[in-house]
Amino acid sequence: MEDAQVVSLLVRRCTTGDAAAWEEIVQRYHRRIYNMCYRFAGSADDAQDLTQEVFIKMYRTLKSYDVDRGAFLTWVTTVTRNLLVDHFRKTKHDRITDSLDSPASEHEDALPLSEQIADTGLPPDARVQSHETQRTVHQALLKLSPDLREAVILRDLQDMDYREIALALRVPEGTVKSRINRGRAELARLLQRTYRQVM
Amino acid sequence: MPEETKHGMQCPEFDAMLMDAIDRVLSSAQQARFEAHARMCPSCGPIFAEVDAGRLWLKSIEEVEPPVHLVQNILASTTGISSARLALGGEPSQTPLSERMREWFDVWIRPGFTAVRQPRFALSFGMIFFSFSVGLSASGLKAKDLAQISLRPSAVKHTYYSTQAKVVKYYENIRLVYEVESRVNQVKRVITPAEPAPAEKQQNRNNDTSGKPEQRQERNSSRDVNQPVLASLPSPSVTMATLSWRLV
Ligand SMILES: [Zn+2]
Repeated sequence: MEDAQVVSLLVRRCTTGDAAAWEEIVQRYHRRIYNMCYRFAGSADDAQDLTQEVFIKMYRTLKSYDVDRGAFLTWVTTVTRNLLVDHFRKTKHDRITDSLDSPASEHEDALPLSEQIADTGLPPDARVQSHETQRTVHQALLKLSPDLREAVILRDLQDMDYREIALALRVPEGTVKSRINRGRAELARLLQRTYRQVM
Repeated sequence: MPEETKHGMQCPEFDAMLMDAIDRVLSSAQQARFEAHARMCPSCGPIFAEVDAGRLWLKSIEEVEPPVHLVQNILASTTGISSARLALGGEPSQTPLSERMREWFDVWIRPGFTAVRQPRFALSFGMIFFSFSVGLSASGLKAKDLAQISLRPSAVKHTYYSTQAKVVKYYENIRLVYEVESRVNQVKRVITPAEPAPAEKQQNRNNDTSGKPEQRQERNSSRDVNQPVLASLPSPSVTMATLSWRLV
């Protein structure tokens, strides 16, 4: 059975109240949604709360998902994205102007999992540097406008294609491409500035 | 501009091809034209470099691990149970819960229950239960309290410690009573002229305790006879047992 078929079967089972099917969906998508929330919202705490909210929303509205109208992933992404935008609007006023030197959040304190599990063979300095780089790129991403940020997250971090992104964001594909390019260029300029200051 | 047309491409065309160039999906001829324009055009060249650098920065971002309890929290906040697999009792066992409960009852409860139903045991078990409940109420624990026990982890922890404190206090009180009793006996021993050997004295004292079953006496006489009796009991459970026996 294809992945799409498996998922649509799971969704159908869920709508009949099958708790095991729902757990399977949570298992399949929680990592992806958590990462999307984390990169968009910036903090591990917010990401955890938002991921939970996304699943609550999904659980309540699962019946409204129409298998024929598009991939489940697109629907999941739309639900997530809408909650992220709401969250952004709500927190816009109490958000402190963050700089690239702002304190590291939970995940930036810890080395990436791949480095925890297996020593990458890099000398310690290089590992610390890579850890630092992760943090700096994460902070720079948060400085992009929400439109550009969500576009690059979906494309470069979540590996979605332009069509899927266009459907999830409900904008034309051309707009998606333009936002991705502007987002990438803006990020590069921010990081270039940071590294020029350091050097 | 003449230079741009010389390279066979204008800025808007470059712009339109930018994404495909970044995604490396242009034909080699198109790619060559695109790169030529990027090298020559002062405004398009830096754009391509920035977009490509940004893409590489983004690609360097690694996936983060979600918190360990995230799935459980999600399930608890949606279905109300932390895991459907757990709730169903796991996949390998297909026996319904009621069936498994009955088996468990047959193996563990029924034999004891049959014994209890025999008249000669019924009274003893009744008395043990009675003395146990007396012990519990003496330690300040009432059946009413049990109904109000909260099962939140922090509450359970609190209940555990407060109950432990009550039991320890109860044990300390009993210990004091026995301590006083043994001191009185020591004083008696001193003021009584014809004193038997300590072992015999111990034996006598135990024999004086009417209503104690033989087992208990054997147990006491097998202990180190010079030790003050019961004053140094190892645990509250032994004290409770003694109390039960006395009541029986
Ligand atoms: Zn140009």
